[in-house]
Amino acid sequence: MNTDKRTRKDNLFRHEAILLIVLVAEWIFFRAIGRNFGTYDNSCDILRHSCEIGLLALAMTPIILTGGIDLSVGSLLGLCAILFGKLWRDGHLPIPIAALCAIAAGALAGGLNAALITRLRLPPLIVTLGTFSLFRGLAEAITHGLDTFTNFPNSFLFLGQERWLGIPAQAPLFIAIAIFFWLLVHRTTFGRSFRAIGFAPEGARFAGIPAGRRVAMTYVLAGIVSAIAAIIYTARLGQAKADAGNGYELFAITAVVLGGTSIFGGTGSVHGTLLGVAAIAVLQSGIVHALQPSEMAGMLTGALLILALASSVLPKTISSLRARKSALKLAKQNA
Amino acid sequence: MKKLLSSLVLLAAFAVFSGCNKSAESPAPGADSSKSAKKLTIALLPKSKGNAYFISCQKGAQKAATELGDELIFDGPTGTDPAKQNEIVENWITLGVDAIAAACENKEGISTALRKAQAKGIKVITYDADALTDGRTFFVNQATPQGIGYTLMDQAAQLCASNGEFAIITASLTAANQQEWQKYIQEDRDKNYPDMKLVAVKPCDDLKDKAQSETTALLSTYPNLKLVMAICSPGVPGAAEAVKQAGKTGQIKVIGLGLPNENKIYVHGGVTQAVILWNTMDLGYLTVYAADAMAHGNLKPGDTSFKAGSLGTFEIKGDNILLGKPFVFTKDNIDQFDF
Repeated sequence: MNTDKRTRKDNLFRHEAILLIVLVAEWIFFRAIGRNFGTYDNSCDILRHSCEIGLLALAMTPIILTGGIDLSVGSLLGLCAILFGKLWRDGHLPIPIAALCAIAAGALAGGLNAALITRLRLPPLIVTLGTFSLFRGLAEAITHGLDTFTNFPNSFLFLGQERWLGIPAQAPLFIAIAIFFWLLVHRTTFGRSFRAIGFAPEGARFAGIPAGRRVAMTYVLAGIVSAIAAIIYTARLGQAKADAGNGYELFAITAVVLGGTSIFGGTGSVHGTLLGVAAIAVLQSGIVHALQPSEMAGMLTGALLILALASSVLPKTISSLRARKSALKLAKQNA
Repeated sequence: MKKLLSSLVLLAAFAVFSGCNKSAESPAPGADSSKSAKKLTIALLPKSKGNAYFISCQKGAQKAATELGDELIFDGPTGTDPAKQNEIVENWITLGVDAIAAACENKEGISTALRKAQAKGIKVITYDADALTDGRTFFVNQATPQGIGYTLMDQAAQLCASNGEFAIITASLTAANQQEWQKYIQEDRDKNYPDMKLVAVKPCDDLKDKAQSETTALLSTYPNLKLVMAICSPGVPGAAEAVKQAGKTGQIKVIGLGLPNENKIYVHGGVTQAVILWNTMDLGYLTVYAADAMAHGNLKPGDTSFKAGSLGTFEIKGDNILLGKPFVFTKDNIDQFDF
């Protein structure tokens, strides 16, 4: 068990190192061929554009660590953005109160996912596939798919569009949440229990870990973080519409898996996820700066994912093939 | 392994750092090229990239860019993420383009990015679908309601020799743009074609099937009907299908506001006589010419006319550059368009 854990840790570390190499290579490549890619302004834009998906990916990491998945985060982002806009414009609530209400709604929505998954023992994929449609549907129903919330005050738009101390105003919030998740996953017993549940759910339960409560916590956190992402998103675009965050759940999952977290749970890291987010964001920006059509980004993200995953298991596959070969040889000699 | 990792981090830090330095020393290429008044970079943003309508715009835009010696970037969202247009525009800002021409999917949302571009000295115009007025200098307006209304009525009168009954298929009785067009159709009729008689206005809810059944009903209700005019795009093929199935091809004329591709078979079959829209290639062409002129300082707010290459002079009304009269697609020219 101990040696097994050791190798899993080594594999993860190797994967993160490869991803870092890929990230640096991307940076150097696009700096060479892209126009004004390496500028400070562009670095800020990359950071700004990856905040929402980055937040969703951070929240997705503990969920996937426990062997779960949450397909509803993108839809929940849309719903929370609409609720926030509605409460502010039609409910005449001040921005901070409206934001807190949206976050509470996010927590509630995450709680719904958690209750269905842990109490009814339904598979997370099915539950969140349901809430994926439910949350988006609610957002569309509230606005009839048409109503758009705009004309937010400049003091609020500052959060999404301006710089504070030279960095994008939403960056400190993102960094704070990233640190929170890093500490949670890597420095607390909660984090250890997430991995234990993902690695062996029954075993974790026998070891006295309150698995249900721990799993529920990850989904509630995802709900809260989706709501925060919704507010940042609304501030960045200056509008809230029912289609906000469309497809973000898949980007978030891609970033987490690219970052080395096993989709079956058990292994993974928050810094890996951040590397995954960065690798995708740099690629997307680089493509535009290299004057290449933006649909290339989707293609290359897919290629990157497959390449990164393949290269991190390749050495293991080769060594196991070698071991089998020599074993066969040995068997032949013995015969 | 740890050593390798830390050296990589150093390398990454170096790459970022040297990047910042470089940008601080050398001026942006955008500023450079406008000084020499030569090759400009013009970025054209469609609502969505896979849409044949915008591909057609791009054709005209590319022609204009080639004539002007400018570099044209054409890029837009491929999916349904509403934030994508903003991200592309923000990337263009740091890229250092000279002018941005945008067809806006989300009026309010995109305007935040366009305002930012203007603040950085990039010239911004919109085409096809406008942004908020403080997000751009000019809007290249492809068609005014008056132009559409009058062209439809003129075509109808021409086909009926200015005499006879006609009916209108509309999307809905309440849609603002449809009412606006109808107002000008009526105005043109009252002024110029008093012998043309509008017998019915039927809504089709923007559905081809309903346009077809409504037209079938019209044909039996009004035996003297000479022409059906559909003023929403699904209505045109719908009305044509009804006339064709009633065996009245050529006898009852069909015209309407629609897209060339979905009407081609009816136009070639002699069912539909004219499809009215604007020339998308000209729209792209004019847009790029206007963007280029703005970046060179030859087109400024307050100008009342503008000359765009081989297309000649265009009228500017306020901050709208008017593409002019709508374009009539007929049997003779419809195959040149693919959208």
